[in-house]
This record gives sequence, structure tokens and C-alpha cells, in this order.
Amino acid sequence: MNDTILWQTRHFVYQHFADTTHAPSVDVTAAHFNISAEEATDYYKELHNRHAFFLDLEALTIRMANPFSGIPTDFKVHANGKTYYANCAWDMLGIPAALHTDAIIEAVCTESNDTVQLEVKDGKVTNSELLVHFPLSFSHWYDDLVFT
Amino acid sequence: MLLFQSEEWIDKWCKRNNLKRGEVLTIQQVWELSKLWYHNRLSLEYHGRSMEEVAEVFRKAGLKSDFWYIQR
Repeated sequence: MNDTILWQTRHFVYQHFADTTHAPSVDVTAAHFNISAEEATDYYKELHNRHAFFLDLEALTIRMANPFSGIPTDFKVHANGKTYYANCAWDMLGIPAALHTDAIIEAVCTESNDTVQLEVKDGKVTNSELLVHFPLSFSHWYDDLVFT
Repeated sequence: MLLFQSEEWIDKWCKRNNLKRGEVLTIQQVWELSKLWYHNRLSLEYHGRSMEEVAEVFRKAGLKSDFWYIQR
């Protein structure tokens, strides 16, 4: 396995998320690097093992490349004329932080099920009365990434 | 990490799911943490963080309790 292509693959996946709001398939990544789908799959699995992103190992699709989510969630982030999905209440702020851009965020609050709106503008965030609960200590974050 | 409108909703959720309460941060704190954690995520040079680098991010974000650190 070529270490340079490995990290270029990670970068390509993230840039693809930023550009299109969704993850590139194995085939798209293989075509980009002019490698076989089997080789691209090996790079995906290695990056999954290194916690660079979280792969659905059966479907071979990227479920999470934090802060981006590969599937729809309760955390929608509108930025740069696109709508992204974030994995959680932390990642909904992680997207404008990663993109270095302003954003409007629509999120569903747990228990109350109310939809709230936040804005990131000029490096500041609004709606500061909201709270984020981290259920697990850092040492357990990777035990079950979906629950975390 | 879930979003809540108040401490009361967090307590209700923990009780309903029979889970211990974790740490609660304000949106402002999470925004500061996000900038430190994600600012270079799209860089080709980003290859992840060591445990020491993670601890440094949490320290810079003002997160001081044991919750954020792996005990050695």
C-alpha cells in the first residue's frame, strides 16, 4: 500500500464531501486515482482502521467523515450554497469550522423535538442558550462511533 | 453528541435512557472546540492526531475535567 496515495485518498474524500455534500463511492475514488476498485477498497478500509473516516464495511460506503455525514441526519448545515448533513451537535458546528465559512444550521433538539436555527457568521455563533451533551468520556468515543 | 434546549431536557433524556449524565457544553464552548478540532480537517497534511495533540486541543478549549483525558 502506497502511503502517499492513502493520505491523498483521505484528502480526496474530504474535498469531495466539501464540493458535493456527499461521499465519493469506491468507484469514483478508483477512477480519480486511476487504480482498481479493489485497491480503492483497500485504501478505504485502511483509512477506516486508522479512524480517518468511518466506513460501512458491508456496503463499502462512507458513513462518516467527521464532521460530514454520509447519510441524512437531524443536523442540516447550509453553507456555500449547499446543504450538508452533520453527524451530531458538535459536527454541525464542525462543518463551518472545517470549511472556514458562515453557515445557517437547522437542528432538531433531543427530547423536545423542536427544530432550532443557529447561525455562524463572521466567526461567531448565535443561539447561545442551547446545550450539547457529550454522553461518553473521550476514552470511550471510538467504542461505538454511531452512538458517540 | 445531542442538542438540548435546557438542563431539564438533558436530565429527562438520561433518565429515560437509563444513562449517566456526561458533560454538558454551551454552544459557544462547542464552537470554540470545533474551530480547534476541525480547522485543518480538509488539509492534505492532516493525518489525525496523537493522544497528546488531542489533549492539547481540549486544554486550549478550556476543557479541564478528567472526562476529556485518558488516564495513564
